[in-house]
This record gives sequence, structure tokens and C-alpha cells, in this order.
Amino acid sequence: MARWGFTVDLERCVGCMGCVIACKAENGTPPSIHWMKVVEKEEGEYPYAKRTFTPLRCNHCADAPCARSCPTGAIVKRPDGIVVIDQDVCIGVMACMSACPYYVPYRWDGEDGYYGEEKVPYETVKYAAFKKGTAQKCHFCYHRIDEGRPPACVESCPADALNYGDLEDPESRINELLRQKNHFRPREELGTNPSLFYLTGKGGGKVGGGK
Amino acid sequence: MSKGLTTAPFTLELRAQCHWDWKVAFYLYGAGSSAGLIFLELLLRRWDVIDEATALWGMWIGLVLALVSLAFLFTHLGPSARWRFLYVFRKPASSWIARGAFIVTVLVLLRILILLPSVPGFTGLPWGEETNGGALLRAGAMLFAFAFMAYSGLVLSSWNSIAFWNTPLLPILYVAYSFLAGLGALPLVVLATHGGEKMGAVGSILWPSLLLLLALNGFLLLIYIWGMATATVAARESVRRLVSGSQRGSFWIGVVGVGLVLPFVMIGLAAGQELANNPATTLWLATGCGAIQIGGFLLRDSFLRVGIYGYPV
Repeated sequence: MARWGFTVDLERCVGCMGCVIACKAENGTPPSIHWMKVVEKEEGEYPYAKRTFTPLRCNHCADAPCARSCPTGAIVKRPDGIVVIDQDVCIGVMACMSACPYYVPYRWDGEDGYYGEEKVPYETVKYAAFKKGTAQKCHFCYHRIDEGRPPACVESCPADALNYGDLEDPESRINELLRQKNHFRPREELGTNPSLFYLTGKGGGKVGGGK
Repeated sequence: MSKGLTTAPFTLELRAQCHWDWKVAFYLYGAGSSAGLIFLELLLRRWDVIDEATALWGMWIGLVLALVSLAFLFTHLGPSARWRFLYVFRKPASSWIARGAFIVTVLVLLRILILLPSVPGFTGLPWGEETNGGALLRAGAMLFAFAFMAYSGLVLSSWNSIAFWNTPLLPILYVAYSFLAGLGALPLVVLATHGGEKMGAVGSILWPSLLLLLALNGFLLLIYIWGMATATVAARESVRRLVSGSQRGSFWIGVVGVGLVLPFVMIGLAAGQELANNPATTLWLATGCGAIQIGGFLLRDSFLRVGIYGYPV
């Protein structure tokens, strides 16, 4: 069985937000909810100041704190490692939002669309997938993965900064990248065992990151 | 507005959680204090410090407080989705919230069972105060009351996403605050059931205990803040927001001033007076006990508001 992983090449990301828009277009998330974010940080001082960009999304942790904290069992891990929320079971406790160190989940309470109370046809279709008062987050575009297509954010990235693949397959593109480049996993010290790796430069490293 | 960090800019900085708000704080305060009240009144009734009427009234008041707290928690759940609230019991093996739901439900049921024999029409039930069944129910209620007091801290301390909460001292602090609020509510119950004349009789036990608990809670709070002030970046930011940032008013005026110093001074000054003949002193004491409740709520509220996530990367 595959275990899907994700790499973000911090050297390649130019902060274009293409992944953010692609995610919104694919999943139709309501206003102010972003399953994919690219956060900026200013580093250094003039004349050497620079901006760095860090794409953030659900890390689909092997030991997901959101799933552990959920009292209803609405957050489940698929056999391929993708962490999904069953909106029929979620009651909107928001424990997952407190427990996630990456502050990934959101709760949608059925607010207006981008153009006010009256939703455009696109929003009407897309919002129908979200149950009011339940949590939601990135689901690794599992509907695309199941069809053999890449997640929308990966497909849209013009700089090839985002990649995905099977962590269990030594020949997969993602493991190739992990062999080629230095990498780290976000907040690994918390024991969440994330499936997302940030690539930082040439030099290689162990396959599977922190293993 | 959708819940979560929805309005946060796309910049890498320390952020406070904003979805667990005052409703959850009231639940943690109300249900915790109610558990403290039932624990102490069962204990003090056992030691014959308070009479049966006071114990029963306290139990009713505690039950109502617990139910009101649960109502607040219910409104905190997702619109529409909240009606599936029975799902909350599904994952006690991994979720502290599910465990807490079990504990508070059993505690409410035990209280109802203990109170039933005092209700006209149910007086013949075989688990009154002097029976073995009654003793068993009361022991169970004390056990679950303590479990809930601990739970109110454990639920927050179990998550390592927010460093300010992620310490074993938090359950200890919340247990101490629950006992303080419970003990602070007891004189109000005595006052409501018997008026001022009974205050003097129970006061020899209550006032020294209250002063001791106030001092202990103040000490625990100091240790907590001190420890967090030397911890991780996120924890230090939490402390900064608590003592000199956005929550400084709530913390210094509410938690420390109204919740600890004011009742300590009022109770300390009034406890030596002849209570039965002095309505003004009784009023002082009652005000002090009421101030303890305000401080107890504000502690939970401000602790929730300064819950800062660490950097996500």
C-alpha cells in the first residue's frame, strides 16, 4: 500500500500563490478558508533583506494530533496515509483546531460566499460539499489521487517547488528528491510524524526524513 | 466568520488560538466549580460540618451550574452539526474530550440519583443519605467530581501544539481553582439556605480553609507563570500577552485582584468578626466569595485567550 508524501522545495518557491488559487478552484473552499497557504517572512536587513516563502498545508501526519483529539472519530486516516474528515460525524467541537500544531483545520459555519449572501452557481455547487458547522482541511485531493492525477496544488506550481509521491516506493519522484536534497519535516520534535518534507538545498539525506 | 485562523495574514508569526472562546471558558469554570462544590459538600457533610439541607441545596445549585455550563458548550459546537452531539462519546481511548463527556455525564447522573430521594414522590427510594446505596453513590460522585476537575486541565495540557497549556501543572492549577470556587460557593449556599446566623457555625472550618486555598492558588499561579516565562518562545509570548499584553487587564484586575487579593483581604478581615450579629460582615464575606467565582472564570478565559501556537515550521 502506498503512503503518500509531499515535498516543498523552499529554494524553488517564489511565492506566486498559484497553489493557493488552484486549491481554491479545485475544492471551492469558502471565503477566508485556505487549505493551502504560502506564508511570507522577512529575513535580514537592508540592503540584504529578503523575503522567504513557505507553503503550508495539512501534513497528513502518521500520528495525527487532530485525529487523536477528535472525540467523535470524524478524522480518520486512510490506508494510504491521507487524513480526511468525515463531515457526517463531525460535530464542530474544534478540538482538532487546537490540537494541530500547524493550525490547519477550519470550521465553516455556513457564512456568505465571496459575493455576499447570494451565492454564484460555482459556489452553490462547491459549497454543497461542505456541511455547515463541521471542520474541514486539505484532503490531499484524494479524489484526484484515486484517479492517478496529482493534487491541484502540485499540478499548478510553475516552479516545480511542490511534489508528491509514494514514500514506500524507493523509485518514486519524492524519494529521489529526498535523496538529492537536504530536508526537514515541520515541528518534527512534537512527534506527529508528518508526511510533508521541506527541501532546503543540495546534499541529500535519509529516505523518509527523520526515520 | 468561519472558525480558525481565518483572518490571519499569510505571514509567519506567532498566533493565538481564537476558536475556543469564553463559552468554553465558562464550561471549564462552571462544570469545574460545580465538581469542586459537590466534592467539598459531600466531604463536609460526611464530617458533619454542614447540615443535610445545605448539602442538598448545594447539590441542586451545582447541578444547575453544570447544566448551564453544558448548555454553553452545546452552543459552542458547530451550527446544525451540534445536534449529533451524542457522537462525542465515540473515542474515549484517544480523546480527552470524549473522556470528559463521559465523566461529566456520569457526574450529572450521579447527582440526579443522589438528589432524587429528596424530591417529593421519590422519598422512598432506597439510596438515601444513611443507606449503603447512598454512600456508594456519594463516593462515586466524589470520584467523578475529582476526575472532572482534573479533566478540565488535562484536556488542554494534552496538546503540545500550544506550549502554554502543555504542562502537568495546568491540571493541578485547575483542580486547585475548582476546589477554591467550590469552597467559595459553599458560604453562599449556607447564606441562601439559612441566612447569616449559620455562617458563624461553619465559618470555623470554611474561613481558614478558604484563606489557605487562596494563598495556595496564588502560589500555584505564580509558579505557573514563572515556569512559562522561561519556557519556549510561544510560551513566553503567552506570558507576555497575559501579564503585559492584550489580557493584562483581565489577568491583573480580574484573576489576581478580584479573584485572589480582594477575597483574601475581605475574608481575612471579616473572619475574625462576630458573624451572626453583623450583617455587614456577612455581606463582606459573601462579596469575597462572589469575587472568587469571577476570578475563577477569568482565569480560564484569559488562559484560553493567550494560547499561542508555536511556529508551524
